[in-house]
Amino acid sequence: MASLRRSPLPRRARAVLALALVLLAAPLAPPAARAQGESVTIVKVEREKPVREKRPTLRFLKANRDFIRARFDRLRVTTLERRAGATELDPRFLRYRELLAEIARAKDSVATAADERERHALFSSVGDLAKLEAELDQMERLLAAQGARLGVLQADFTGRQRTELDVLVTGAALAGVVDSVIVTLEDGTRVVAGLDDTQRQALARGGAFEVFRGLVEPREQVIEIRFAGDGWSQAGSGYVTLEPTRDRLTFLRLDLAQAQPARGLASVVAGLWRHEPGPPPAPTAEANRDEP
Amino acid sequence: MDDLTRRSRNRRAESGSAVAFAFALALAAAPALAEPPAFAAREGLELVSAAAQAWSADAVLVYLENDEDLDGAGRATRWGYLFHSPSQARARAWSVRGGKLVAAENLDMRFDAPALGAGWLDSGAALAAAEAGGGERFRNDHRGRLLTMLLMRGALSEGDPDATTWTLVYGSPGAPSLFVVVDAATGRIQRTWRG
Repeated sequence: MASLRRSPLPRRARAVLALALVLLAAPLAPPAARAQGESVTIVKVEREKPVREKRPTLRFLKANRDFIRARFDRLRVTTLERRAGATELDPRFLRYRELLAEIARAKDSVATAADERERHALFSSVGDLAKLEAELDQMERLLAAQGARLGVLQADFTGRQRTELDVLVTGAALAGVVDSVIVTLEDGTRVVAGLDDTQRQALARGGAFEVFRGLVEPREQVIEIRFAGDGWSQAGSGYVTLEPTRDRLTFLRLDLAQAQPARGLASVVAGLWRHEPGPPPAPTAEANRDEP
Repeated sequence: MDDLTRRSRNRRAESGSAVAFAFALALAAAPALAEPPAFAAREGLELVSAAAQAWSADAVLVYLENDEDLDGAGRATRWGYLFHSPSQARARAWSVRGGKLVAAENLDMRFDAPALGAGWLDSGAALAAAEAGGGERFRNDHRGRLLTMLLMRGALSEGDPDATTWTLVYGSPGAPSLFVVVDAATGRIQRTWRG
């Protein structure tokens, strides 16, 4: 407590620092500490946007655009009476309702058993103990069933990694003040993330700041990075070429530890790595009287 | 001394052979590196769908065509796929080559076409149907060749505006092109015309 009082950082800053350190523990640990296959590849931040070969696509469509569009326009005024068939419903959605019903039934059973148990505060015979044992067995079975249900949900919702990019900033710049980081994807998506004093202090102490996380196309692409702030607004843009792997999470870390405005964005050290999903953890369930 | 000279010559001969072998290997590998294998239209669908989902959650495939020359089995080294997003009212295309997305662009025209029907025949089966339905004869009679295969729903379909159809375009230096429309669900020839 005393050491906390001596800390020069306000409470909010300490909280942010702690959060940043926790965040660091997983994805930004040294490569050796991360799971196998997540080694960091250092990539160059270019001053000029790399020029790539442009391949023409859909040439027939473009050459005959008026004809084809006219055919589609004609379709829109054509009325056709047909029986509309219902589309198939994903069977998992029906299963989710069943799972909810099972949970409700299990809750009722446990609640009933708990009420009854409360009414019998003292066990006067061996028969009561046997009954208690049966109740405990029933609760164990319900817990196992709950675990299985959680497993179903986990497989459906956490097992599907899509192609994602996570852009992180670490370190404090040697000179200037970075007020915000601007990331522009090739499709024009632009993300601006502002940094306040607390966050800059967290970065200086080894924290990380997430600028962007979202779905990206699984192809080679160039992303543009700019910093705004004292000294950095005139530093120009930097370009990083990366190729996110399909159905994987790719991290791009921009380390500012050696960065200075005079050398531009090229002084930022960029590292790439891919998160390889491990086997899903075994589902667990904490049960209590209200949530069996 | 003679023995040493012989050994030295042998070594030189061996290293010369190794260099020649490596050179021959490099020559053999060069075309393979330059030209990835041709593939049927469906093979690129999974990859391009992942890109489309990243672009827009409601993106649906509305059109595809070969981006490079076709072979006799309905395969091409590059295919182009066009998706439409109703929520964005935009269309975006991707081109697949060698298992990678090598081009991506937004279509600079309005193209709110209907989504392709599920279960469409792959390009190989469509080509086989078109060849039997007049394509082969056209090629033989007019020294023609298959230029384009495109898949869309409704626009070129005759009778059933809901049908997804392959359209195959055969060209010839001295004759009007042949168009063969194949029902992508059944493989039946819907119609042919010259123009």
